[in-house]
Amino acid sequence: MEIYVLVKQVPDPEAIVKVKSDSELEIENKYFTSFFDEIAIEAGLKLKEKTGGKVTVLTVDNRRVDALRRGISMGADDAVQIADPALEGADQFALARTLSAYLKDKPFDLILTGRQAMDDDAGIVGPAVAECLGIPHIHSIIGLEVDDQKKEAKVLREVENGKESLTCPLPALFTCQKGLNAPRIPLVMNVMKAMKAQIKKLDLASLGLGPSDVSPYIKIEKYVPPPKRPPVKMIKEDFPENVKTLVKLLREEAKVI
Amino acid sequence: MPNEIWVLAEHREGKVKKIAFELLSAGIEFSKKTGQEVAALLLGSGLEEAAKSLTLFADKIYVMDAPSFTPYTSDAYLASIASLIKEHQPSILLGGATSTGKDLFPRLAMHLQTGYAPDCTGLTMGEDGKLIARRPLFGGKVFAEMAFSEARPRMATVRNNAFLVNESPGKSAKIVPVSSQIDPSLLKKKVTGFEKAAGAKLDITEADIVVAAGRGIKAPENFKIIEDLADALNASVGTTRATVDEGWRDLKDQIGKSGKNISAKLYMAFGISGAIHHILGIGTCKTVVAVDTDPNALIFNYADYGIAGDLFQIVPALTEELKKVFSTE
Repeated sequence: MEIYVLVKQVPDPEAIVKVKSDSELEIENKYFTSFFDEIAIEAGLKLKEKTGGKVTVLTVDNRRVDALRRGISMGADDAVQIADPALEGADQFALARTLSAYLKDKPFDLILTGRQAMDDDAGIVGPAVAECLGIPHIHSIIGLEVDDQKKEAKVLREVENGKESLTCPLPALFTCQKGLNAPRIPLVMNVMKAMKAQIKKLDLASLGLGPSDVSPYIKIEKYVPPPKRPPVKMIKEDFPENVKTLVKLLREEAKVI
Repeated sequence: MPNEIWVLAEHREGKVKKIAFELLSAGIEFSKKTGQEVAALLLGSGLEEAAKSLTLFADKIYVMDAPSFTPYTSDAYLASIASLIKEHQPSILLGGATSTGKDLFPRLAMHLQTGYAPDCTGLTMGEDGKLIARRPLFGGKVFAEMAFSEARPRMATVRNNAFLVNESPGKSAKIVPVSSQIDPSLLKKKVTGFEKAAGAKLDITEADIVVAAGRGIKAPENFKIIEDLADALNASVGTTRATVDEGWRDLKDQIGKSGKNISAKLYMAFGISGAIHHILGIGTCKTVVAVDTDPNALIFNYADYGIAGDLFQIVPALTEELKKVFSTE
């Protein structure tokens, strides 16, 4: 099977992210592979181990390739970076068009990615790529079996009140959710090798795209700090008065019960 | 005639989800500034009850009745909604940040080549008709105010409790039946089964009240006291990554960065120290209560009310006190 995994390097969840100005964030320089993308890489590798074929990791990023190196260290066969000055400040739809321009003439059976990236938390790129390529997609899968002969996938997807099973013809795109698998920890030796691995770098022109193809549909007008909660009110009475006070506060002050 | 504001009204077992009423209420507020009509979009089969419940909340209800809408797949929904949008050119399309919304909206936006703001916690409409969507980034460490390009409709999915349900919406909707001829070749995905989650509780992303325990609960069987409290409050039960990784609780109940973001009116955390992963998942809850034995636990920095105490003492007493208070009403 030919499997492509769309990956993104994002600030570590512990990294400090603050509003610097209306149009700029201050982000601690601590990057890792978006957690859900790592699940997607693992899913791709597992299928390759079963059916043979090839796993390619793919990212759009002008500066970093951490997630590509992670993918290689985990066992991906190939890595591609798309970078172009015109992609500076691109929205998710522009990224989807860029990725699709690369993928459209590739012999893919399956495209995998995380259910959302852990920086913009948007979850747009996966389904939007599927739309551009005219293939079916399923969002947030927690189970995956592939019948390579029939070119069909059996998928389990999480919905609000339970789990739904679906069948889907291939090629298709699935976005991966925690629970699908536990991503492998690469061997140190493979991490070292991945640091030196060759990464193909492409720009928009080589994909037949111009700056007008990546004009945004949505734009960040302003960054704002999160709403601040007032300082905590500690209820210092002894038990059981503290419980009675809490109930009273929730009913009369917060008015939530 | 300015174009309409549309809300995709999701429903389950004949009942329209609360988020749809919240979004229609927002639409009604916007329409006071813009003079637009507000319309609900209802897809499924046997929709009379659902349509009836929406009557006061919209000027129009577009009803698309066809068996291929149940259960949801993006194949059937996308084709039908896209053609209706092309016909009526609505100005705005809103939906819940649900499993359906997150599956459908990004693809639909790409299809229509229009802007979509996902998982919003607020929307504001300017006097000039400019729509601004507010949404968390980096799990809620910062927020962004998003603007849309000239393309229409402007699309957004919104979390629960971002808007209050209007108590007197005062509309009287006209039902507009829409025939939906779906080309069977478009229906690629097939839903083959559904495993309903145990218990009758709402998903933690949908519940108004969520009570949760973390590692401080010490053993999986001790969740019984949390379940009892949840029953008294008609709440759902959440948890932390630690207990899920231990295999004590189901992944679907995990709150936080690698789990779910909840947006409850009341969130109560018992024996949860407040790791950043968890805190990021509760950022948009209205009122937060924390109970932990460690008075310096991080969770207290993010709570409105706190008790430094033993959850095994407090939770059962709280359940009893609530039962007592509610029974005298």
